[in-house]
Amino acid sequence: MIIKLEKIPIKSKKDVEAINVTPIVEDVVEKSGVNNGIVFVFTTHTSSGLIVTEGLPCLEADILNHLEKLVPEDGDYRHMRYLDIDGRIAFNADTHIKSILGGINTFFPIENKKIVKGSRQTIYFLEFDGPLERTFCIQVIGE
Amino acid sequence: MIDFHTHPLLVREIIGDNPELLKVTRKIFDIGNNLQPLDIFFLEMDVSEIEKAVLLPIDCRRSKGLPILSNEIIGKLCKENSRFMGFASVDPIDKDASKNLEEDVKKWNLKGLKLSPATQDFSPTDKEYAYPVYEKASSLNLPILFHMGMSWEPGTKITPGYPMLLEEVAYDFPNLNIVIAHFGWPWVVETAALSLKYKNVYIDTSALYFDSPKEFIYFAMNRQIPVTLIERSLRDKIVFGSNYPRVEIKNMANAIRSLGLSEGCLELIFKENAEKLLNI
Repeated sequence: MIIKLEKIPIKSKKDVEAINVTPIVEDVVEKSGVNNGIVFVFTTHTSSGLIVTEGLPCLEADILNHLEKLVPEDGDYRHMRYLDIDGRIAFNADTHIKSILGGINTFFPIENKKIVKGSRQTIYFLEFDGPLERTFCIQVIGE
Repeated sequence: MIDFHTHPLLVREIIGDNPELLKVTRKIFDIGNNLQPLDIFFLEMDVSEIEKAVLLPIDCRRSKGLPILSNEIIGKLCKENSRFMGFASVDPIDKDASKNLEEDVKKWNLKGLKLSPATQDFSPTDKEYAYPVYEKASSLNLPILFHMGMSWEPGTKITPGYPMLLEEVAYDFPNLNIVIAHFGWPWVVETAALSLKYKNVYIDTSALYFDSPKEFIYFAMNRQIPVTLIERSLRDKIVFGSNYPRVEIKNMANAIRSLGLSEGCLELIFKENAEKLLNI
């Protein structure tokens, strides 16, 4: 049994952004030594997301725009107050809710050292509160 | 576009694993967010359409044990990064304050002086120790950015930030440009009055004490005073400041832009007034 965990730093460059991380996940799987098993991918932040969808710029924009319509930045939230653990005002409730709606993880089977996924399935890291340096994790388990 | 009020206290290349600097960030300035690489600072400026940022230290070695970054750290950051401009800070009670100010400003090409009576525990109206520092700043043509109003830093009081304390200074030093930080909140009316009355008193916008930036800025700059006061009378006296990383630059910039000020007024607030104060 092989269990490998990679913590991948990633820099978002915009306020909101969909970043294709599929090649990074594929590379980690390929180098893991696992022939057959499973790969988990998840973000370590509560104001970002990890999703799977078709890899098209128009869809990237649609997903981010639709989440903004569902959970507008200027909405009425209680999470708009001074947080002493941060030493600053918290006012990003929308980003936390978008993270929940979009999801924070995904997984795929591994067969013959390759991820088993549909040809159009693309793994995205979603930034809701950038630009920031972020971390997402890839764990490969198998034989 | 210029951000007149930032503190590079979450820059990983500066703070790193240095226990003293981490103590400054976590305990003295009191900010808990993750450290970030320097290029995130620039990306934050990019998404906010800010070209240059003023970096501020606070010399609070006597009152807090450590400075909120030294003039040397600020100077080196500015020397290595053309998008940064630095201010100096000195402890006015230090008998060598004026000499140190002149030396550090010349050595590091610093553009102004940052003072915080609450953090540094000094009286801004003391003629014996504070006035010589003001005289030196005036002779060097340096603006002084005073922290005024409430501070989030632990172990500081609100009262030393009462902006009317600066009237005497503005009156006695008519050639010294004074910038009241944080719009002097909660004393917004008093701060506006000082800037209306004295040609040498300016205001920075870096105020956020509750609610979201848009809501707070609307309250402070369109409820505590009418926004027409800014548009008509104080358009030449206000500079944009974010107080990053206490708040993201993008959110404060968007809040100011949401006030409904004219393009000409925003150009003055985001650019021209700062350029005049910084002599650039």
